[in-house]
Amino acid sequence: MVGPIASLSQLNRADGSASYKCPATGYSILGAVNAPIELPARRDALKPEEATVEVFVKPGTTTAGVGERYVEGILRSVLGKIVLGREKGFPRRGVVLTLAIVGGENVQRGDSYLTILPALLHAALLAMISASVPLSMTFSATLLGVTKSGDIVRDPSPTAAKAAVSLHVFAISSKNHLLLNESEGRFEFDTWELVRERAVSICQGVTPASTDGDVTMGEGTASASLNGFIRETVEDQVYSDYAYKLDDI
Amino acid sequence: MASSTAPRNPTTPSLSLPPSQFARLQPHAYLLAHLSPPPASNQPSIRANGRATSQFRVTSANAGSLTHTNGSAVVRIGDTAAVCGVRAEILHTNDIASWSVLQASSEQNFDKSNEVGESKSQDEEDRGHIQDLNLLVPNLSLSTGCAPGFTPGAPPSALAQSLSHQLLSLLHTTRLVRADDLRIWYQPPNLDSEEFRSAGEGMDVDTEQSGPEREVKAFWVLYIDVMIISLAGNPFDAAWASVLAALRDTKLPKAWWDADNETILCSDDVADARKFSFCSFEGDAAAGWRAVVIPDAEEQKQKKGAQQRWILADPDGYEEGLSQERASVVVDKENGKTVIVKIEKHGGWAVDSDDLRQLVDVSAQRWDEMKRILDQC
Repeated sequence: MVGPIASLSQLNRADGSASYKCPATGYSILGAVNAPIELPARRDALKPEEATVEVFVKPGTTTAGVGERYVEGILRSVLGKIVLGREKGFPRRGVVLTLAIVGGENVQRGDSYLTILPALLHAALLAMISASVPLSMTFSATLLGVTKSGDIVRDPSPTAAKAAVSLHVFAISSKNHLLLNESEGRFEFDTWELVRERAVSICQGVTPASTDGDVTMGEGTASASLNGFIRETVEDQVYSDYAYKLDDI
Repeated sequence: MASSTAPRNPTTPSLSLPPSQFARLQPHAYLLAHLSPPPASNQPSIRANGRATSQFRVTSANAGSLTHTNGSAVVRIGDTAAVCGVRAEILHTNDIASWSVLQASSEQNFDKSNEVGESKSQDEEDRGHIQDLNLLVPNLSLSTGCAPGFTPGAPPSALAQSLSHQLLSLLHTTRLVRADDLRIWYQPPNLDSEEFRSAGEGMDVDTEQSGPEREVKAFWVLYIDVMIISLAGNPFDAAWASVLAALRDTKLPKAWWDADNETILCSDDVADARKFSFCSFEGDAAAGWRAVVIPDAEEQKQKKGAQQRWILADPDGYEEGLSQERASVVVDKENGKTVIVKIEKHGGWAVDSDDLRQLVDVSAQRWDEMKRILDQC
C-alpha cells in the first residue's frame, strides 16, 4: 500500500498550512491555519479564557452544505480539545482553520462523510503544527471498512466504502487515547473491538501478536505507523527549515 | 436590643446563595457538588436534575398530530419537543435527467442478482435509488425560538444543519425506507403495448421490452421536516424519534399511471392508502447524546484516582453546555440480538471501549422502552 503524502507550509500568507494526500482513498486536502487572530464578532465569547477554534471545510466543486457543517462540528470538537487555548496570547482570540478539498471524489448530498474524515483530520493537525499552535498531543486517524465477508479493509476507496457493511473512523492520540470514533453501518460490538485493535495498530505501529508475520510486514514497511508518519513529516520540514544551521555544524 | 438583632438577620442569608444562583454563578461546581457529594453528608450521587446517571427523561410520543401531512408525530423527551411532518410528493421519471442511464444499470444488476442472491443486491439497488434520486429529504429547523440561543427566523444554525445531515445519513445507512415502497408502477396492457409506445411514449422507455413488463413511472419523494419547538438538550434523540414515529404513521395514497391522461392519479380513498413495510423496526437513537462531564478545573484530581468523570444519559441543556465529550449510540435489535447502527464519539478521550460497551447495553434497554412508546402512539 502506498503511504500518504504530506508537506507543510506551502502557503505563504497563512500562518501555517499543510497539504495531505491519501493515495488509497484519493482525497487531497489543503489546509491553512491562522492563529492567534482577533475575531471581531467574538468579543463576548462563551469561554473568554480560551481560544475559539473555528473550522471551515470547502468542497472542491460546490459550495459547502449540510455535510460540511457536520464535519466542521466534529473537527471543531476534536481540535478544540487538544489545542491549548489558554497559552499566552490565545485567550479571547481565534484559531481559524480552513480546509479545502482539492482532489478526490466529491461527497454527494447524503453520502457518508466518514471516507474523507481521516484526511481532513491529518491535514488539520499538520496545518496546526505548521502554524505552531500549542497542542497537548498529536493524533492520527484511520478509516476502516468491514466487508460482507467480515474482512477489515484499511482505507477503502469510495466505491469499496459504499459496498462495505460498516465504516469506522478512529483517531488515536499520541498518548494512546481514543480521541474520536465514528462508526456507521450494521455491526456488533465484538466487530467494533476488532476494528479498534486494528486501528490502534495502524496508528501506533503496535504490531499485534499474530501467528503469521505477513500482516505485520505489510503495515510495518513504508512508515511504521501513522503517528510515525506525522512525526517524520514534521521532522523533514524542520530539517529543511533549519538547513542553514545544520550546515554550520 | 431590636437594633442589634435587625442587622444580623439580613447578613446570614447573604452569606449563602440559593441553589438557582449558585447554578448560574458556578455551573461546574454546582454540577460537581451534586455528582460527588461530600462523603460526610451520606447523600447518593445524583444529577442536578434529580436523575440517576443512566436515567432517561420521561418520553412521550403522539402520532398523527398534523392533518395536512401524510404522516406526523410529536415526540417529547423531557422538555425537548420535536414535531415531525412527512409530506410525499411525486417525482416523474420523465423529470429525472439520468433516468434512462440509471435504469439501464439497474437492469444489469437484476441480471446479476439472479445469480448471486436476490435480496442483497435488491437492497443495494434500494439504497442507490433512494440516495441517487434524493427520495428522502429531511430537514431540521431550530429557528423556532426553541431556546434563548436561537433567534426565531434566523438562517439555519450550524447545529441545525449538522443535525439535518445526521438524520439524512442515518436514514440512508439504516435503509429504513425501502425504495420499493416509493415506486409507482405501471403495467402496460398486453394487447396494444406496441402501438401505445409508438404513439408518443418512446422517450423514456429506451429499454425495448416488447412484452408487458411493468415499469416505474414515478417515485414518491418524502419531505421529512422536523421542528424542534423546545430545546432542552439532546435534540438528536428527539428528532430521530419523531422521524421514526412519523414514518410509521405515514400513509401514501394509492397512485397509478393513467395512460390516457399520461399523468399519475391518486386515489382519495383512505382505505386504498398503504403504510410502509419496514424491514425491521430500526431502533431509536437509544443512548442519544450521552455527555461526559469532565470539569476543567478538576484535572489534577483526576490523577488522584478518584472517579472524576460521569457518563450522563440524555443530558438536558444545562448539562450539555458543560460537557465537552459526547458519545451517541444508535442500536437496532434483530431477533433479540443487538446490532449497532451508529456510534459517534468525539470531543475528549475519557470514553473508551469499556464505557462504550456499557453504553451499548444501556442503549439496548432503551431500545425496548422506545419501541414500547412508539408502538403505543
